[in-house]
Amino acid sequence: MAGYEPQTLIRSQAKELLESGQVQCVIGYESGSRGQVRPAFIREASDVDRLVWNQGCTHNLVMYLRDKKQLAGSGEQSRRVAIVVKPCDSRALNILLAEKQIEREHIYAIGVVCAGVVEGAGFAGQCSDTLQARCLRCSDRETVVSDLLVGEPQRTETIDDFLDVAELEAMSIAERAAFWLKQFDRCILCFACRQVCPGCYCSVCMFERDDSLWVGIATGIKEKEFFHLGRAYHLAARCVGCDECERVCPMELPLSLLNRKLNKEVQTLFSYRAGDEPAQSPLSTMLADGEESPV
Amino acid sequence: MKLLPQETLRTWLDRLTNDVTLIAPRIVDGIVLYKSVSTSSEVILDYSRPKMSAKEFILPSTERILSIEKRDREVTLSEPTSADQVIFGLRPCDAHGIAVLDTVFLKREPVDLNYAQRRAATALIGISCPQMWEDCFCTSVGGAPDDPNHVDLLLTAVKDGYVVNVVTEKGKALIAELELQEYGGELTRPALNQVEPVLIQEQWPERFLDSFWDLLAERCLECRMCAYLCPACRCFDVRDQLTQQGIGYSQHDRLRCWDSCTGSNYRVVAGGHNPRATKGQRLRNRFFCKFHYIPETYGLSGCVGCGRCIEACPVNIDIVEVLRDVSRASNLLKTSEISHNAGLGGTA
Repeated sequence: MAGYEPQTLIRSQAKELLESGQVQCVIGYESGSRGQVRPAFIREASDVDRLVWNQGCTHNLVMYLRDKKQLAGSGEQSRRVAIVVKPCDSRALNILLAEKQIEREHIYAIGVVCAGVVEGAGFAGQCSDTLQARCLRCSDRETVVSDLLVGEPQRTETIDDFLDVAELEAMSIAERAAFWLKQFDRCILCFACRQVCPGCYCSVCMFERDDSLWVGIATGIKEKEFFHLGRAYHLAARCVGCDECERVCPMELPLSLLNRKLNKEVQTLFSYRAGDEPAQSPLSTMLADGEESPV
Repeated sequence: MKLLPQETLRTWLDRLTNDVTLIAPRIVDGIVLYKSVSTSSEVILDYSRPKMSAKEFILPSTERILSIEKRDREVTLSEPTSADQVIFGLRPCDAHGIAVLDTVFLKREPVDLNYAQRRAATALIGISCPQMWEDCFCTSVGGAPDDPNHVDLLLTAVKDGYVVNVVTEKGKALIAELELQEYGGELTRPALNQVEPVLIQEQWPERFLDSFWDLLAERCLECRMCAYLCPACRCFDVRDQLTQQGIGYSQHDRLRCWDSCTGSNYRVVAGGHNPRATKGQRLRNRFFCKFHYIPETYGLSGCVGCGRCIEACPVNIDIVEVLRDVSRASNLLKTSEISHNAGLGGTA
């Protein structure tokens, strides 16, 4: 594939997939208003030139497969969707595959070699030249799931030292609690962090039940704390670190730090990183037939 | 014209904090928000548009509207009261937002008593915007960066202080003890952004069954950010919650909390039916509410043009772009006529 721009290859592949009827839709990126990049859903081969690939393509499009879950079970090839994935996004695909939320044959993954996306991406007039913090820590250049990989992988030597987490860990328990409560206090419970997360696919979130079973309707500090800590635990060993939760937060809560703390624990205890393989995390286990619970 | 000298401003604000709760633009963890302040030194004067509107001080995100205390067979009901407050530094678009809330909650029977009480205890001191920022389009929906219409006092920055425009009696009382100077200069209006096309409300119904809304909503995250940041969105949900319980004793609070039409459970009714089951139907409601339902019912725009939703939407659902797209097509929209969208057929 040498010699071609990833964007050109994405468009030509999308065109072929749509023309041949192999997929019903291509989920990718397009240019939006005010110089932004945004998710796009392409259904006509004549529209493929809307697809773009650049360093503003920050969105983890895998979350849109939540709406496509009904595809699984339909059994029709033509109901397949193609999706553009970066290496981090592709790990989220593995999570959904392992947790049986989607079936592999219903997805055509167009993997893109990624050298990182920039700060401010997806917001008008805010794009900078600096890579996002998560990209500066990332050494993945190739996707772990793909039917086609576009771009030329380049070797990198980046290691994630979890320095940001170490800073958090240096605080006493009381200081840490105070830090997080101060952060959560700004939260407006708009649930954008949950909505954008590919790992948050429950059709009814336990933190927002109409019957207030676990959490009430109020926007109080207790509700916020319970929601954010609860969500973090639900994502432990499942979070791929795409940091979309933090990007979308209108109140600028450092949500990735919470997820990274748990990811670090999981990495230390189990030598495991979410989404590297299409396998369930060590924290989510299911009893096989005849197997008895040790507890 | 009267001038409030720069040096008098902070002493005035400090005096206000003695008598009332003062809400003003303040920096909280690096974010500009309207918040209560205890001294004038916390108030910032060089700001654009606070991240959130000021509506939470009149329509709180969580409001206890009733407490129900039950002791053996005796039931006591108590309702909260409101303390006097002054919102200082309100941008004209945010004041317009409060005017929308006033219209909906107060102008028709039954008046919302909780809202009425809090609103009566509130005075609004606006500050004209020195400019229209990139996302601003207030002039397209009946507002202006120096619109005095919905505040009690409007201040406009000039060299050495603020020109004071007394709009209401409440405003007059606020400056009664102030020594103002004469201002002989002129006020220059800020440059205005391009006026965007807004369909007149009669034209909206023919767009109702358009597939456009499903196409637009496909990328919508169904979060509530746009409604919560909006100065004029005012949907709420009410639930009774058990707060304390003992032998022969219980206490319930009746809570009213913000809600948003973009959330999936927004319109679910008893029995589980959801008349707005799809994302497209719910996102359509957002635009119809602002540009058709509110204008038709109350005679003013339900959008104030502050641009907060444009700035914050993580998937670039841009209300101005929507207005342009909707105004472009005269009949039912076809996919090819919409600037960027293509996708599923309509399920409206």
